[in-house]
Amino acid sequence: MIRRKSLRQILPGLVVILVILVLGILAYRFMGSESFIRTALSGLTLSALYFMVAAGLTIIFGLMDVLNFAHGAMFMTGAYMGWQFYTNPTFLFGLLPLVLAFVTGISTTGLWIPLVSQWKITEAWRKRLTAVLVVVALGIAVLGFLKFDLLGLADTAMVTAMNAGNPLAEATPQEVLATFWKRPLLLLISGLLLAISAARPGDDTQVISSNKKALPWVRLAALIGVTLAAVFLRESASIAVLKMNGTLRFLLALLVGAGVGAGLGSLIEVSLIRPLYARPFYIVLLTLGLGYVLREVIQVLWDPIAYSMDVPPLFAQPGKAENLLAWFTGHNLTINIAGVTFPSYRLFIIFLGGLMLLGLFVLMRYSRLGMIIRAGVQDRSMVEALGINVKAVFSVVFAIGVGLAALGGIGAAPFIPVTPNMGDAYQMQGFITVVIGGMGSYGGAGVGALLLGMARAFGDFLALKFNMSPAIAEASTVIVMIIVLLVKPSGLFGKKE
Amino acid sequence: MDNMLKLESIHTFIGQFHILEGVSIEVPRQSITVLLGRNGAGKTTTLKSIIGLTPPRHGKVIFDGDEIQGKRAYDIAAMGIGYVPEHRAVFRNLSVLENLKIAEKKRGDLDRKSDFIFGLFPDLKRLYKLPGNHLSGGQQQMLAVARALVADNKLLLIDEPSEGLAPILIEQMMVAIKELSKTTTILLVEQNFIMASQLGDNYFIIDDGKTVKNGKMSELIKEEDVVKEYLGVSLGKSGGAK
Repeated sequence: MIRRKSLRQILPGLVVILVILVLGILAYRFMGSESFIRTALSGLTLSALYFMVAAGLTIIFGLMDVLNFAHGAMFMTGAYMGWQFYTNPTFLFGLLPLVLAFVTGISTTGLWIPLVSQWKITEAWRKRLTAVLVVVALGIAVLGFLKFDLLGLADTAMVTAMNAGNPLAEATPQEVLATFWKRPLLLLISGLLLAISAARPGDDTQVISSNKKALPWVRLAALIGVTLAAVFLRESASIAVLKMNGTLRFLLALLVGAGVGAGLGSLIEVSLIRPLYARPFYIVLLTLGLGYVLREVIQVLWDPIAYSMDVPPLFAQPGKAENLLAWFTGHNLTINIAGVTFPSYRLFIIFLGGLMLLGLFVLMRYSRLGMIIRAGVQDRSMVEALGINVKAVFSVVFAIGVGLAALGGIGAAPFIPVTPNMGDAYQMQGFITVVIGGMGSYGGAGVGALLLGMARAFGDFLALKFNMSPAIAEASTVIVMIIVLLVKPSGLFGKKE
Repeated sequence: MDNMLKLESIHTFIGQFHILEGVSIEVPRQSITVLLGRNGAGKTTTLKSIIGLTPPRHGKVIFDGDEIQGKRAYDIAAMGIGYVPEHRAVFRNLSVLENLKIAEKKRGDLDRKSDFIFGLFPDLKRLYKLPGNHLSGGQQQMLAVARALVADNKLLLIDEPSEGLAPILIEQMMVAIKELSKTTTILLVEQNFIMASQLGDNYFIIDDGKTVKNGKMSELIKEEDVVKEYLGVSLGKSGGAK
């Protein structure tokens, strides 16, 4: 009984592996070893990228039934942020104090509740007050950005390639502190006002948690400290980053991309998606629109042109490594793998994708958060009835999902053009991956990504071989999806319909 | 204050349906109070209104001296209420151990309580690595009850623990619940009148969303007409479960 059940669970995976093996052997015979290995490696690279997008989509959908149509835009944002950090961090360090000041303001919400909830005001005034507070807060925020040279901060990236010899050539001077100091202050005030309105003045039905009194104050103090540091280190930090060696800078850029993505994700979840959980259709429209907004904002800041990010020096030393071990000493541009010359950076992408899968596996299987996510996918209200704040978990999961997409974006940046639309194709493939793998299953997303990447790579190969239109190759992923859905409508590992 | 829980005329809506139209209950400490009533009378909704999954729109819920109506379910649960839902809602993708672990409200809860829990339900100890969906119905029901015992809860809300269980398992479940009532307070929803009458100290009958009658269980057993009217159960005949 037990054995049969578990067999049924892993059966789709076995079948997929079998199919890939049979097709692989056929292809190997037909294509010859060299082009087979080359195509398979390209396929793996694509699989890794598809997985990075799909992983976030699927865990977000699994836990909270949100289809995030802005995921491709987040992938793109991650790429821009990481690339900007890598080439010229002035933009990020210039903006950081303002963002931190704003977040510091908003983080005081919990502290206001005991104070403002006792205000004696009528229902009508309560609504008016909230509206006024929000409008004033936004006005002050705009005031904080007035005449702030955002475009100037972002404007430097184009020249990078020309000044490769002198990394500091890019470090644009920033506004002097004597005029800059007002901006974080204004944004702090704006955040504080928003915090007051979020604390729902006059609404005395709110629960005031009495057991964790010190924590919000500690958090506030920490945030203020970090904000002050960000204000004073604006210039020196970006120069320090530019002076770093390229490898370290690149690894930091990966973290920055993922971090900005995660921050953006939690911000979006808390402010925009949370009020709409009861209206799933609105969330679809919201995320769809959000994707457009993000793309336009990026376009305004960096112009609608394609940038190319340099492959970091770790993968860019001239020459070819004879094998994987030799690469670890030489850091060459290409590696010889079983007679095929393959770019070492693409191997890194495959590695990154694998690492992400492993990380997700460990998170979901062995951490308390993973346990809560798995339980929540099945029955959210029961999880809540055990005393766990599921809504708070939602924000974390959204942040993780978006962070993964952003990490994928910056990972992909050195070998696909960095443009405002770079995420769209990956979002499409990400959705197909999720559908194939089964909604909500990250393991399914892994298998689905593998299938799709291979289908795409071998589709390309066949189209080239038989002089067919490349559109055939693009359709190959959809064909795979149709076949899978005909056999198993809920996807390979899906439980939800 | 001798009541662990008190409901004062609560009204609960699900969507636009007025499910509870005035339910008032008192649950004395260290006792088993049974909610009786026909299918659809509102017993399950009453439990869900207490824990906050379907918050009441009017009325008061007073738990251990605090008004808790309108609070979020996780806040209410964290105050010390354990909820065992009907239909053995264990987490199917989680192992038995994880099902228990997730109910920890403090680090180390499970380690502290595991001897007690496995003493009540020895079967679970043997199964603790299996996923929830590999358990039999009875084992799942025991797991659902065990899950509510991991944290130090002052009150347990148990919804139809005997549903669909074999007689031998019902027996085991009754022993366990009786044992639990020595240390904690229990509000029990039970369709099986035999089980309810043997376990309960006090009873409340809900009919059409209103509490219509209450008293000592020992007295209810004598009132055949009441039982027949509100529960559709004839006493004296054999079994007479549902």
